[in-house]
This record gives sequence, C-alpha cells and structure tokens, in this order.
Amino acid sequence: MKYFIKRVGFMALTIFAVCALTFFLMNVIPGGTAKLVLKHTFVGLEESVTEEQLNQISDKYDLDDPLYLQFFRWIKEAVLRGDIGTSYVFKKPVLYLLALRLPATIQLAVMSMLIAILAGVSLGIYSAIRENKISDHILRIVTLFGVSMPGFWVALLLILIFSLRLKLVPVTGYGSLENLLLPAAALSLHSVAAVMRVTRTSMLETLGQEYIRFAKAKGLPLWKIVSRHALKNAMLPVITVIGFQMGGLLGGTVVIEKIFAWPGIGSLLVDSISARDLPVVQGCVLAIVMMFLFVHFLVDMLYTHLDPRIRYG
Amino acid sequence: MKCKNSPLIILLIIMLTCAFLTTSGCSSKDENGTGDAVSGMEVTSGSDNASQPEGGSENNTLVLGEMWDIESIDPINGDGTLICEKAAITETLVGANEDFSLKPELATSWEQLDENTWEFKLRNNVTFHDGSKMTAKEVKFTLEKVISENSKVASMLKIDSIEVVDDYTLKIKTKEINPILPGVLHYPDTAIISPSSYNEKGELVKPVGTGPYKFESFDEQTRVLTVVKNENWWGGKVGLDKLILKGIPDPNTRAMAIENGEVDFTVDVPYSETDRIDTIDGINVEKYKTPRVYKLDLNLKHEPLEDVRVRQAMSYAINRSDIAENVLYNVGEAAAGPFLPTMVWANKSLKPYSQNLEKANELLTAAGWVDTDGDGIRDKDGKPLKLNLMTYAARPGLPPMAEAMAAQLREAGIGIETEVMEMGSIDDRREKGNWDLYLAAYNIAMVPDPEYILTNWYTTNGTDNTPGYSNPKVDSLITEARKITDPNERYKKFNEVEAIVYDEQPMIIVAYYGCAIVKKDYVKGYVFDPTAHDYRINAGMYLENKS
Repeated sequence: MKYFIKRVGFMALTIFAVCALTFFLMNVIPGGTAKLVLKHTFVGLEESVTEEQLNQISDKYDLDDPLYLQFFRWIKEAVLRGDIGTSYVFKKPVLYLLALRLPATIQLAVMSMLIAILAGVSLGIYSAIRENKISDHILRIVTLFGVSMPGFWVALLLILIFSLRLKLVPVTGYGSLENLLLPAAALSLHSVAAVMRVTRTSMLETLGQEYIRFAKAKGLPLWKIVSRHALKNAMLPVITVIGFQMGGLLGGTVVIEKIFAWPGIGSLLVDSISARDLPVVQGCVLAIVMMFLFVHFLVDMLYTHLDPRIRYG
Repeated sequence: MKCKNSPLIILLIIMLTCAFLTTSGCSSKDENGTGDAVSGMEVTSGSDNASQPEGGSENNTLVLGEMWDIESIDPINGDGTLICEKAAITETLVGANEDFSLKPELATSWEQLDENTWEFKLRNNVTFHDGSKMTAKEVKFTLEKVISENSKVASMLKIDSIEVVDDYTLKIKTKEINPILPGVLHYPDTAIISPSSYNEKGELVKPVGTGPYKFESFDEQTRVLTVVKNENWWGGKVGLDKLILKGIPDPNTRAMAIENGEVDFTVDVPYSETDRIDTIDGINVEKYKTPRVYKLDLNLKHEPLEDVRVRQAMSYAINRSDIAENVLYNVGEAAAGPFLPTMVWANKSLKPYSQNLEKANELLTAAGWVDTDGDGIRDKDGKPLKLNLMTYAARPGLPPMAEAMAAQLREAGIGIETEVMEMGSIDDRREKGNWDLYLAAYNIAMVPDPEYILTNWYTTNGTDNTPGYSNPKVDSLITEARKITDPNERYKKFNEVEAIVYDEQPMIIVAYYGCAIVKKDYVKGYVFDPTAHDYRINAGMYLENKS
C-alpha cells in the first residue's frame, strides 16, 4: 500500500514535469503562437497577418502574459476545475476533443499491441524451439525486414494488396473491425518484430537451464515443457519490451492515422503543433503520458505475478 | 505451481479488459459531451456511421474525398468557410465568371453612388435552408458578424455602416474609397447565412445558407460532412440527392480510395499518379489551373540579389515548362506574371521567361559574377554565388520544385542549398532576414481584383512584399489606379505595373498552381469553377447509372 501511494505520487510528479516541459518547449520553438494560430484558422498558410489581428488573438488568449503566469493559470484551472483549456483552432474544450479522438487511438494501439503479442510471442517461441533450423533463419530475416521497413510504406503496401487487389477491407473509414485491421497491422509491424526477437532470445536462455533439462529427462513432451515451465520464466524481459513498445506505438500512430484518415489523437497532435494550438498539444501530451504510465504500472504489477521474488516496497 | 493459467492468457485478459473499458468508457463520455457542447447539431457517432451504406448502394449519393481534414463547419469563423463553399452550402452576394469578372449571384446589381457609398439590389426569390426569406436584414446581419469576427475580411471591406433601405436594397458606406468592395463580397467568408445558424449565445448551431445543398449532419468524430439537396434552390434543379464529404489528408490514400470505389470524386492525388489513374477504366482525371502561383521571393536586401541582372539571370536559368511537365506533371503551367492569362485584367502581352543559359551567363558576367576557381560556382571578389532556398511541405509540389530549380540554377553557376522547413521557422527567418530565396504558393485571387495582390506584393509597404521591393513608379501607379472607377482604365495601370515587375523580377513567378479533379465516369455535369478557392461542387453535377 505504501508502495502504491509512493508510485502514484511519482506519477503525478512525472505528469507535472511533462506538462511543464511541453508548455515551455512549445513557446521556445520559432514562430509566434498568435501568428500561426491565425494562419491555421483565418488567413491561410501563406497569407500575411496584420498587427491588428495579432493583437486580437493575443488579447483573446492572453498570449502576451509572461509564460510562468500562463502556465500557472493553466495548472490552476486543470487541478481545481479539471478544465485543461479550449482549443484555439477548434474553439471547443480540449477534454471534449480528446473524448472524441482518444477512443480511436486506444482502439488502434490496443489492437496492434494484441497483434504484436500474439504474433510476436508465438513466432518467438517457434523460432526458439527450431533454433538454427531453416524456418528459424527465415523468420529472423523476415523480422529484420519488419524492423527496418518504414511504417507509412508498409501501410500503403498493405492497402495496395488487401484493399485494391484482394478487395478484403476498405481503404479508409472508422468504426468497424475491418476498418481497424489494416492500420493496426501496419502499426504493429515494428512491435511484432521486437517482441519476437526478445521472446526468442529469452526462450533460448531459459531452455538452456538445468530444470528444463530435468523436465526433458523426466520425459515431458516439448509443448508441456514450453508452456508449463519455460514460458513463465522467459516472459519477464518480453513484458518489459511490450511495455516500451506501447510508447513507440503511440508515436507511430501519427503517420498511420494520417494515411488511413483515422480520427485519433496522433494527427490531432501533429496538426496542433504546427498550428500552435497550445491547449490541444498539452491535452494530447497529457493523455499520451497517462496512457504510457498506466501501461508501465501494469507491467510492474505483472512482474510480481510472474516472479514472486520481485517485491516492491 | 499454484497458478495453472499461462501468463500469456492473463496478459491477454488484462489487455482486452482495459481495451474494452477505455474505449467503451470514452465513447459513452463522448456522447454526453456531444450533447452538451453542440446542442441542436445532429451528430452521428462513429459506429452509427459505419453501419450506414458505404455510399455505393444509394444511387444518387456522391461520396467525395476532400483534401484536408474537415475541422470546422463554421461559415464565418475561420476554416469552415472553405468547406461550406466546396459543398455549395453557402453563396455570396457577388459571383464571378470564368475570366474572374464579376457577375450577379445573391445580389442582382450594384452601383457606386458616390465615392464611399454603394447600393446593392438583392435577388427577391431566395430562401434560406431554414425556409425563411433572404432579405436585406439577413445580409446586414451576416456582413456585420463577419466584420466583428474576422479582421482580415473587415480590413478588406473597409465598411463604415450598412443601411437597410428596403427588403431588397442595401446601402453600404465605406470608410474610404474602396473599388474592390464587390470583389471582396465574392470571398467565401462573406457568404450570406441565416441568423438561425447561431444560437442566442452566438455559438454555431449549423451553417444555414442559400446554396443548392443544405447541411444535414457533421460527425465530429470522423469529421464526415453530409449535405442534401435543397429542393427550393432559387437557381433551379439540383443534381444530387446527397453529398458525403470525407477528409482524406493523404494524397496516396485518396488515389487508392477512388480506385477502390470508396469515393466517387476526389482532388489532388499525387501529381505523378494523375496520368496512370486517368488510364484506369471508369476513372477520369481533369487538370485545371486555380488562382494560385508558385513564386520564388528574392531577398533584395542581400548583396547578389539586389542587382537586377542577377535576378533576371536567375529567371532565365529556370526552365519553367520543364518544371510544369516533370515536377507538376502538368497539374499547373509555366507562368509569366502574377495573374492567370485567362483573368480579364491580366497583362496578356507577357510571356513566361524561357530558359536561356547564354543570356543568363551574359547577365551574370556583366554583373561581375564569373567562375574564377573552376568549381562550377561563380564568384566575385573571392565570394562564391551561393544562396539558400527555403520552402515548406504542406503543398506537395513545393519541395520537388525547389530541388529542380536548385539543379537548374546550378547549371548557370549559382549554388543553391534547399531547406524544407516548418511554417513557424520560415516566418522566424523572414522576420530576421537571414534568408535568400523563399519558394511558396500564393493565392492570387482571394478577391477577384488585381489591386489587392499588386498592392500587397509590390508596393513599398505591402504586407506580402517579402523581398523588400520598392519602386516609386509602381507605388504611384497603384495609388492612381485606386482612384479610377472605370475598370478598363484601372486595368491599364495595373498592366503597366505587371510589365515593370516582369522586367525587374523581385519575385520569380515560376508556375500557375493546378488542381487535379479525379472522378468516376458516371459523375456527369461537373463544371470546374476557377474562381473557387480550391474547387466547388456545382448544382448541375449528377450521377448517371451508378451501379
């Protein structure tokens, strides 16, 4: 329990630090906030803005106040009232925008994580059992491709094959499982490869342990050895990698969401950065950090389950 | 071992539960949120939308793949104006012909009574989508709302007061003489809307315009806009029952979506793909010019570029037709001046600079730039002729065009370093002045009148005069023209300005911007409106035997 409190306190600190960092970094990057907000909402990207318009926007959002004051105001509103601001571009509360966009991103991330875990772990085990056989080599080369292919390229290739040639799934759209499959597959590619490689290594190490040799001597069939004795012990590093991959997935959604016109927060975040829509950027970063911390918390809890020797406190 | 479950299964269960919890939790929240924030607006949730037929099964419904994410549908405040123009929800008082001359739309005629007073007569058979009649009162409401919320338009309108004379007559007083007033009233931000578009608090309910299509729904999650036929359109028959607009920001995806039959109409697939897609059975590609130019700003405050000979040499070194053909794939055209040759006020005697390396060599040598050390780059007083060129990636033609021009300029002995940057960084460098060349795509007829562009680009204090160009002759010509009300006399002065900047090349106008319209063969009756700001759906468009 004490550990739990400590952990939550630490999370709050992390969230605060990330918010502060995002806020000040966003104000350090070149180009004035008011100017870019105007270009993205009123005048068009190339057009010039007038002094009058700049003042109008700066006054409206108090952009001329010192930064610490702006940040303090934001924190105050967020903590006291749970209000994390209103978008300059959409003119809607950020929480409302997140509620619209976050489910799509979570669906995508969870689906690709599932693909990564299912495919990665089972292929990893298979590869480890067949160490140095021809199928192991093929799998390892394929995963090498998986790690090195850029996501957007694979995404286009997947559309070309599964939508245009095979007519199995639509190119764009949101809402049903068949819409989800391609983007999730494209997004999970790196993770499948990463999870598979770690599973293979870790499995090989475990399979070399003495108790496995003992189990073999006992006459247990291979599938029993793997599932009963080896898997649980080999899982620890795999879980760590999965936790980290989750963070990578959230970053990868940016490109994938653009290609599939997927209504998630990835594209919202990038567009908001170029439009200097500070409240939305803050909100998106906040959501991503919280998701990341939550996953890591889960990973830590799983550790104790997998290896009871690990104790927190 | 106590626990017989494999950890994999536990993990799976946890992932699945949290997936379920988070998604279902959030979507139920979003429904509540939707109810609060957009009262009155019909918002379908994502899953409802997916269960709708995919467009293909309804016979007279057109699905359109729009080039930007549809972020807003507000017909006055910001981004939404363009989508309301594209979907033909709203209309403006003043229309424009193909040559950009003005024509009546919601206003039947207008007249300048004295220097600062204009009288507009309105069409008397126009009803809004909510059934109410359009009268001078609503027009006054719209214009006053635009003026208070959009200072850019306000600064172009220069309106002092609006007076309702009778139901169909409006008197507008301007703060100073403003010959472009009718032109500004063609701008989509000034489209006439019914006051019922907003609630008492001034928040948007939905765009209620007068156009051939009326707003039906906007899904705020997937950002799909649906409009339906306006049976009572004053202009006559409307071709489609329903039009569904989906934002598909990636050009490759738009191409594949139309190939796969998910959309019937889309724009700007990758330029390099246009010819391949045109050969596909059942799809055709049409290429048009839009009122926008690719132009290269030259920083005249930097030493080599303040010499007019260097600027002319650069213009001669660039092979415009080559760029139009191989970079833009003919979605665009080599350009002479800032205006399209089809525009009524354009100086038609100007021809695009054609590549002439000999002439470029002569001019550069005369300016003292010769390659003395044999490295392929010219130099003068020991300094090499090296320039940086910045551009941005939001318009797909720009980065490859920058590369092509750099290669062509290098042939003439000018070293170019290209940089693709984010808009904020570009603005920053333009303010600080540490740039040489800036390639951008500028709109040339937001308002169908030459005064606005020529003033902003070429007068000494022009707001878009990035190069820092100053020529007293140009300044005085534009000031004189502003006082002339006879269009032909005005255009004469403007033609003179065009000829001067053609010689002096403070900006190198490279090519006219193009738009590739990609549509299925069964989409008939589409007429491209060159005066629209990207493209606009016309009422006469219909579907023929869509299976």
